[in-house]
Amino acid sequence: MNEFMRCDQTASKITGISRREFMKRVGLLSSLALTYPAAALGELRQSKTKQALADWQTEPAWQTLAQVQEVLFPAAEDIPGAADFGATIYLHRAIENPDADGEDKGFIFRGVGWLDGLTQERYKKTFLQLSEDRQQEIIVVIVNSNAGRNWVSTLLTYTLEALLMDPVYGGNKNGMGWKWLEHQPGYPAPPADKTWEQLLQRRYKSTAKA
Amino acid sequence: MSKSENKDWDVCIIGSGAGGGPVALTLAKAGYSVVVLEKGPWFTEKDFYKDELACCRRSVYTPKLSEEQHVIEDTDSDGQWVGEATSDSGWDFWNGNCVGGSSNLMSGFFYRLKPEDFRLRSEFGAIEGANVVDWPISYDDLEPYYAMVESEVGVSGQFADHPFAEPRSTDDFPYPATREHPISQQIDKTCRSLGLHSLPTPRAILSRDKGHRRSCEYSGFCGSYGCSSGAKGSSRAALLDQAVATSHCEIKPLCKVYKLSSDSKGKVVSADYYDENSDSQSISATLFVVACQAIETSRLLLSSTGAKHPRGLANNSGQVGKNLLFSAGGSGNGDFEYADMDTQVAEDMRTRGPFVNRGLQDWYFIDDELVGGRIKGGTVDFLLRHPNTMSKALSAKWDGDDLMWGRALQKNLKSIFVDSQTLRYEIFCDWLPTDNCFVRLDNTVKDKWGSPVANVRIGYHQHDLKVGHYINERCSKVFKKMGAKNIRSNVSGAPPQNLVAGGCRFGHDPKTSVLNADCRAHDVENLYVTDGSFMPTGGSVPYTWTIYANAFRVAEKIKDVLS
Repeated sequence: MNEFMRCDQTASKITGISRREFMKRVGLLSSLALTYPAAALGELRQSKTKQALADWQTEPAWQTLAQVQEVLFPAAEDIPGAADFGATIYLHRAIENPDADGEDKGFIFRGVGWLDGLTQERYKKTFLQLSEDRQQEIIVVIVNSNAGRNWVSTLLTYTLEALLMDPVYGGNKNGMGWKWLEHQPGYPAPPADKTWEQLLQRRYKSTAKA
Repeated sequence: MSKSENKDWDVCIIGSGAGGGPVALTLAKAGYSVVVLEKGPWFTEKDFYKDELACCRRSVYTPKLSEEQHVIEDTDSDGQWVGEATSDSGWDFWNGNCVGGSSNLMSGFFYRLKPEDFRLRSEFGAIEGANVVDWPISYDDLEPYYAMVESEVGVSGQFADHPFAEPRSTDDFPYPATREHPISQQIDKTCRSLGLHSLPTPRAILSRDKGHRRSCEYSGFCGSYGCSSGAKGSSRAALLDQAVATSHCEIKPLCKVYKLSSDSKGKVVSADYYDENSDSQSISATLFVVACQAIETSRLLLSSTGAKHPRGLANNSGQVGKNLLFSAGGSGNGDFEYADMDTQVAEDMRTRGPFVNRGLQDWYFIDDELVGGRIKGGTVDFLLRHPNTMSKALSAKWDGDDLMWGRALQKNLKSIFVDSQTLRYEIFCDWLPTDNCFVRLDNTVKDKWGSPVANVRIGYHQHDLKVGHYINERCSKVFKKMGAKNIRSNVSGAPPQNLVAGGCRFGHDPKTSVLNADCRAHDVENLYVTDGSFMPTGGSVPYTWTIYANAFRVAEKIKDVLS
């Protein structure tokens, strides 16, 4: 049995889910009246296609995580999607940080393995090889297991941080998360040499730079 | 490896927060040599930014729980006391370990105690299961120091008379009230119509410059954040910077005191600490002042055994750690939807930056058959929901037990962030002292240096809930009358870890108290405690102003002893 489904009584419920229920859960039936300037997003998406990828971004596990984040936080004409605001760049920086929560990192990568295990079992394909519809369906399936719900919830927390924390941490590109949610950030904003990672060093060394 | 500094200091203060700052400043100004040992780092205005990740999502101002933790004892479903390390539960009981302590991170709304709070037992009688006693000093003894805090720390506000107003020696606050949010007018109007007296809240926030400290810049992010203008009256910005400027005071950050060593006569001779390399060091002084915030103060004394103090320093009465106090009460939220308002009103309601600055003390004392006659009540403070994003965003993740993602999540987010302003009230009531709320050393869990951590039992008295519910029902009515929607409130016995006092109560009888009326240990002639630990009962307001005032009072007593 797949790890996401192990020891989980709720998993069987999912087989009975109707297409309509599925659509409702992922919100496709609700009409959204959003006001984020679509032009700004369009421009950003144009310029981004030209950028070269960092080495880690080409690793299969990170490509899978990036796609999961996009499914969890999809772009629309007037909604910044995970790739728009730098969700995966934020996640990479957050969990590869030596001061980061090591448990989260291990769990996130184990989850990538479980996810591909599940898609192989069902469709003989990796998550990345599935169509977008199938990717959404598989997320619905895993969210109905306890481990899967925890995994998606963990990724969502980092994705929301990427949307709303200061741009200095790699997400919230150009403050687009704040603009989309009409949030006025406080001031002064943290400069690159006063991030939490740098301030943290001062807990250990009085001479640490910050 | 232990080594001693050659210098003998007049006074060694352990802890640099609201209890330590006034003593350091008073004695340094008087020319005594003062050293302050602080376990955390020394951040200044140049390190404080409005960075939600640093402030509130990662451990920057507090230790990592895997390195330093507490054990919290609560009752399980069978009513048995069960301890759990905070490194397992994630329930963080640290409040700001850095120079200036948690006063760096307070929201700074300041209330004095009232004369009756100093004699709760005589005024309201005994309550079964509660260890309520009168204080050994009166409001009149502390009043001059409340006034001193207004000018020294800088308290802004506007005095308004009301039925339960406490006496003041000056007409009004030395700094005018900080700028106010448009919603304050609505609160006033509603309260007037209900016969209530909405009061301007005094704040330890400067409304104009004071020396090197700049006036508030109204960014709207105050509580939980360090202040980058210096307007917030932290012990560091308001007091320690001045103390250091006298050149009689040295602050040593990253020095974690683990023991106060005492001699064969029972006097404290040295503060033994780990420096930033975890090397053991020690400092000697004529007189020692402990102000590590209530839980850690009790822990340090209990850890400091000696020939005359086999059960811990100042603990021959067995009272150290007993009668720990939090703050009882609860809180409520209500939404004001922009769609229901005229455009201009909606625009006003969206304002970010100014303070709500309103409170109610109409129920500070309650005389009502519903609660069985005359009892002690509490204070209500109004405030906008904190502008931090993540608590809102994380609430959008869930619909009951269902995890929201994709468009459903985005729709939730949009609605929570954009549709309404949320007003909040917080209720502060006495946390009655009981035998089920105390600090002891844990038998098994140790911090990264190998010292036993504090084990904190967090039992509360049912009476606290009765008072909380009484006030909460009345606050909900205020919100309803204001037109708030989706009003949700909560009264519980869960302790707010940022409002903590007691553990070393002061009193006249050495058998039933740890400190005398001057906050000197009954059984240690050169040891004082000046944080909130001294309080035998808590009053129904946040503690900081009282801690500041009492520390200034005790500093004068210490000055007399040294001269």
